[in-house]
Amino acid sequence: MLTTALRMAEEGEQPNPLLPAFYDILWSSVIFVVLLLIFWKVVLPRVQALLDERAAAIEGGIKKAEEAQAEAAAALESYNTQLAEARAEASSIKEKARADAAKIEADLKARATEDAERITAQAQQRIEQERQAAFSSLKSEVGTLALDLSEKVVGESMDDSRSAAIVDRFLADLEREGVSR
Amino acid sequence: MTLLASAANEPEPFHPPSLADFFPQVFLFAEPTIPWFEDDSPIFGINRIMLVRFIAAIALILIFVLGTRKMRLIPTRGQSLIEMGLGFVRDGIAYDLLGEKDGKRFLPLLTTIFFMVLAMNLTGVIPFLNIAGTSVIGVPLVLAIVSYLAFIYAGVKKHPGAFFRNSLAPAGVPWFLYIIVTPLEFISTFLLRPITLTLRLMMNLLVGHLMLVLFFAATHFFLFSLGGGFIALGAGTLVFGFAFTVFELLVCVLQAYVFAILTAVYIQLALAEEH
Amino acid sequence: MDNATTILAEINGNIGTVGYGLAAIGPAIGVGIVVGKTIEGVARQPELQGRLTVLMFIGIAFTEALAFIGIATFFFMV
Repeated sequence: MLTTALRMAEEGEQPNPLLPAFYDILWSSVIFVVLLLIFWKVVLPRVQALLDERAAAIEGGIKKAEEAQAEAAAALESYNTQLAEARAEASSIKEKARADAAKIEADLKARATEDAERITAQAQQRIEQERQAAFSSLKSEVGTLALDLSEKVVGESMDDSRSAAIVDRFLADLEREGVSR
Repeated sequence: MTLLASAANEPEPFHPPSLADFFPQVFLFAEPTIPWFEDDSPIFGINRIMLVRFIAAIALILIFVLGTRKMRLIPTRGQSLIEMGLGFVRDGIAYDLLGEKDGKRFLPLLTTIFFMVLAMNLTGVIPFLNIAGTSVIGVPLVLAIVSYLAFIYAGVKKHPGAFFRNSLAPAGVPWFLYIIVTPLEFISTFLLRPITLTLRLMMNLLVGHLMLVLFFAATHFFLFSLGGGFIALGAGTLVFGFAFTVFELLVCVLQAYVFAILTAVYIQLALAEEH
Repeated sequence: MDNATTILAEINGNIGTVGYGLAAIGPAIGVGIVVGKTIEGVARQPELQGRLTVLMFIGIAFTEALAFIGIATFFFMV
């Protein structure tokens, strides 16, 4: 500043830097307006568009990821339900099988019991029949034998009706004795 | 300096920097003049400084228009540099101080101010241009007036009718103090703001240029006019000149940032005045 | 010492320079305080560094303006 002042004083002419020349202001304004228009109308909209695009891309990426995640979650869900269904089915099949088995077992048991009972009944019936047959044949034989014997003992014959009556009475006595004995 | 200058009657005398550096000859369109204004000031005159400003502006336009022509989602190296610059103004100045909504409204203005000041400051350290476009009062004055109009516009738009009352007579002050407060507020808000904006930018760059010229002129003088033992001194001034060039680079960026951020602060104050 | 008015040293120049030197003291101290306090603040709360830096530059810009008005006075006062 010192030198400047000296030079100014020496040369006598003093351009004052605080006083703008007209062309200075004019060209400065022109440059400013041109730059303002270029930044305002060209550069910043482009950058804004790019930023929007980038934000959209990022948002799109996030959305895509979210979708994929949702899809995966849905798939997992469906697998889980399927698994649960399969498990339930399996358990119901097992249950059914067990029930079937029990039923079959019960059936078999019932049939076996029935068979056994029937066989027993048949056997008893047959035994009864045999007994009856044996009893009646024995009865008649024993009567005949006794008659023969008594005929021989008594030496006289008896008519059949009387002999039959006698046999019956004898047998009844026998039975009574057997019972009392 | 006078001593040295007068002592050097050898081949080349010392050329001290002078204010005349900032008023070079008008070499184009010197003809149409305004007779009644500043001794026949040419209307469309173009001198060296205007030329430097045009070069800076054209460089700025080329960089930004070509650089943003094919923007890609995944930026290339150059594109991310441009995006970083624009993002610095957008996030660091506009959105940070004004918020997203108002920041968007004033973003073109702030971006233009920042990059215009930056480009025209940088011409001061670029070889062969060697003078800052902002070191002559035109650009700082125009930008300060723009900033001034911008904050008045913002205030009047936001608080129609109340803006001037709010800024001249702040609430919460006893009535008799208004006698002192109102003139002070008027001076600080409506006079000093544009004046300081203009002077800060212009004087920083003007003084920076004078310092650089001083160092390099002295180097030249010591090395080539005096020689001998003065060569060591010349080496010293050369180193200082180089260091000062680096410092000037810092000042260039800082002044651009300060100009833009002060504009944003003034707009913010005008918008926020809620008394 | 025959002549009482012998000039021992001569300074020539503009007294305005001295004025500017005086005018620069205030802003210099002010900027120093602003930056120093910012550093203190950052040391206390490093996470506020970005915010504080912006405020620091605004503060410097306001303080520094006085120095530049000081330079400019030369042009409109002389």
